[in-house]
Amino acid sequence: MLHYAIKELLKRSKLYLLSVMVIGLVTLMVITLNSLGDAYKEASRLPFNDIQGTIIMQRNGNVPEDISGVLLSCSLAPIRQEVISRISKIDDVRDISTALSLWVFDADHFKRVLGVNWSDNFGKKLASKLIEGTIPKTNQEVLVEKTYAQKNALEIGRKIDIAGQQFTIVGFIGTAGNEVVASDIYLNLREAQEMAYQSKNLQEVEAFDKTDVNIVFIDAAYPNMVAATQQIKQIATSDESNAGKTPLGQTIGNYNIYTPESFEDQISAVFHISDKLIWIISLVISVGAALIAARNTLHNILERRREFGIMKSVGFRSRDISREVGIETFIQVLVGFAIGLILSATAIVALAHTSVSIAIPWELSPYPHFLLANPNEANVVQTHLLPIKLEPLYVLSSFLIILVIGLITSFLGTWQINRLKPMEVMRYE
Amino acid sequence: MSKIVSVNQLSKTLGNIRVIDNVSFDIESGEFLAVQGPSGSGKTTLLGLLAGLEKADEGSILIGDEELTSMTEDQLALFRRHNIGFVFQTFNLIPTLNTLENIALPLYPERINRKDMLERARKAAYDVGLSERLDHYPNELSGGEQQRVAVARSLINEPKVIFADEPTGNLDSKTGEKIIELLHKLNTEKGQTFVLVTHDDKIAKKSSRIIRLIDGRIKHDK
Repeated sequence: MLHYAIKELLKRSKLYLLSVMVIGLVTLMVITLNSLGDAYKEASRLPFNDIQGTIIMQRNGNVPEDISGVLLSCSLAPIRQEVISRISKIDDVRDISTALSLWVFDADHFKRVLGVNWSDNFGKKLASKLIEGTIPKTNQEVLVEKTYAQKNALEIGRKIDIAGQQFTIVGFIGTAGNEVVASDIYLNLREAQEMAYQSKNLQEVEAFDKTDVNIVFIDAAYPNMVAATQQIKQIATSDESNAGKTPLGQTIGNYNIYTPESFEDQISAVFHISDKLIWIISLVISVGAALIAARNTLHNILERRREFGIMKSVGFRSRDISREVGIETFIQVLVGFAIGLILSATAIVALAHTSVSIAIPWELSPYPHFLLANPNEANVVQTHLLPIKLEPLYVLSSFLIILVIGLITSFLGTWQINRLKPMEVMRYE
Repeated sequence: MSKIVSVNQLSKTLGNIRVIDNVSFDIESGEFLAVQGPSGSGKTTLLGLLAGLEKADEGSILIGDEELTSMTEDQLALFRRHNIGFVFQTFNLIPTLNTLENIALPLYPERINRKDMLERARKAAYDVGLSERLDHYPNELSGGEQQRVAVARSLINEPKVIFADEPTGNLDSKTGEKIIELLHKLNTEKGQTFVLVTHDDKIAKKSSRIIRLIDGRIKHDK
């Protein structure tokens, strides 16, 4: 039977070409579209690689009237330890890191300063980018971003003035410059908090406590990240300090919670496609393919009516015919699937060479627009190669889909054939 | 000789026409029976009924010990595979299979290994004088050769009876004669029972027995 099926398909390859191509197309579309969807999800997580977390929490602040001295960057409002403590109790939260991002408008020039706890995960991630020197051991030591150091002719061991205080440069840190929470100078969190606490200009805008921070990096397990985000949002909205007023009587800003999903809308690429669209396209293609394959199979059966009549007349039972048609269909499915798989692998390799650009929200890597000749330079964009790969799950799914299409068409075909009366076929054909 | 086919009060209606009307007769093993009659007399329908390709409305057909009229379609198919050979006027070969594979076609659904299957087909091909054309496809064979393939295919299962419906109808007279000679040779040498529908009196006269049908009834049985 297998031999007959193979000969039939080879000798009349033109008759079956359409079905095989349709099966190949379904395989290609299901694998490629879904892998593409996953790749964009994965791409949206890439900015988080810089921070060793999956959720970023910030709070909107107010713009100071006097822009001088030490200020909270981008007017981010302080986040209290009490809120962080409540978030840390959420089951799905694995880890929390904090930082304090400051803008220092010194007389000589503007500096972005980041207070870091070197023992938390964010601090450890930053420490891994140390290219020379050591991480600060005392509150009077700082790391400097390498490009910033080169621009300002800074060297290890030299002193640097920040808001009237002298700090020793103990090392250089190498960052790409377009990372989330990029900064020029990195110092101990405690010292940054003290600096912020002492700043009169800052305290006029937002009431800052010595243990406050303005960026919280939360690491939540991926499958439960949505649930964790919801709980974080609940904690944020129920924060009692929301109801208060700033020292100038302004409204206290809302919290911003950034997750990888926040970045999905920021992705721009040639083949960007949404999840819903992927499902709609996959469904339309599968249904369309099933209809085309069914039509083609029925047409082929009509073409072979006489042969099936001959087979019945020499003793093929319904189940023998079903087996024959089933084998023929299965071979078409296998060949179409193999073609589709090769095309998918080729498409995925090609797509892996395309790049995606992700616009980082300004608040996550802020720089004062008014200090730049071209304000657009403050916009941070990350460019990555599309992290697409051939997913076994979609290979299996596509095979199951085309197998179902094959079973349906095979069933329809044999149903038609088994209605044939051999003598009628012989008499009228 | 033993009785191999027994037909009793067989009737078949197609549309409003009673094509076979209360027909009864027996066929002995090793007989070469010719069925004759004008067009529309019911010859082909009778052959179809005897071969289990069509179901009767009334009466019974006994082949060997098996009653055909009570069988389901699948039982009939299995019965045909093991007991019946059929040769059609238009050869009815599968165009994508070569000579050897066409001869072996009735064995395809059987659980026989391919080597044994083709060996049996090769033997049947030898019996009909087609040993030189085993790899040829139907479109590479002459009409006479195609009909020989059909005869070999009908022989492959060593059937109790071979039914042939106008086997020379699509052949020139010389080739037709050779096919009839072949059938007679198989009849005499192997004792194969044949039931043959023909318009040709010359072919009928060579048969051991002739049944003449008119309007679905036996008018002559000699």
